[in-house]
Amino acid sequence: MLPRKLQDEIVAHARESAPKECCGLLFGDGDVVDRVVRGRNVHPTPETRYEIDPSQLREALVGTDDDPDRFLVGIYHSHPRTEPKPSAYDVANALWPEQVYILTSLRFEPPEVFAYRIKNGVVTKIEMIES
Amino acid sequence: MPVTVRLPGALRDAAGGETKLSASGGTVRDVIADIDRRHPGFASRVLDDAGALRSYVNVYIGDEDARDRGGSGAAVPDGSEVMVIPAMAGGR
Repeated sequence: MLPRKLQDEIVAHARESAPKECCGLLFGDGDVVDRVVRGRNVHPTPETRYEIDPSQLREALVGTDDDPDRFLVGIYHSHPRTEPKPSAYDVANALWPEQVYILTSLRFEPPEVFAYRIKNGVVTKIEMIES
Repeated sequence: MPVTVRLPGALRDAAGGETKLSASGGTVRDVIADIDRRHPGFASRVLDDAGALRSYVNVYIGDEDARDRGGSGAAVPDGSEVMVIPAMAGGR
């Protein structure tokens, strides 16, 4: 579950970052997101790629105690010009099978936001419940 | 004294589903090898054929990036906490 207010925060981050891709972390408990943390995109070509600053990721994970899969609910990033579904590159680099991948596309107005799980190269679109 | 290794993300699957385990070794490479003895195949997920850290893996010893301390050869003091973190990356 992703509260509307937090979804709006993700879209705002995508708009502010364009034409670069934005990225960030979604914290909560189980499948319920209660906090969005903007990530620092340190990839050298941020217009088409993202990588969350590893040191920021470490700091965030230290805060999840011993169970990051419970408290780190998801990961988000944007596609400024392309569709809101995982690219082949997204799938090849998806190393967080327990987390939800939220994708925002800015190709149309209003922006499109969808959620996926990516595990062992298999992409499954999941329903995103707003509150 | 053993070190504590934390494995968030996909690397957990390579270590029998454990997110936190105890291991021994004086360097990152040694610690990875110790885990690999119990979970064969783990080392190949973290290190390349030359024994260097794979590009999509980040290792921290406490709050220090292992790449700043010699990569897989970085010293791991007794009692350290080592976090092996897969990159969070992608793009269109």
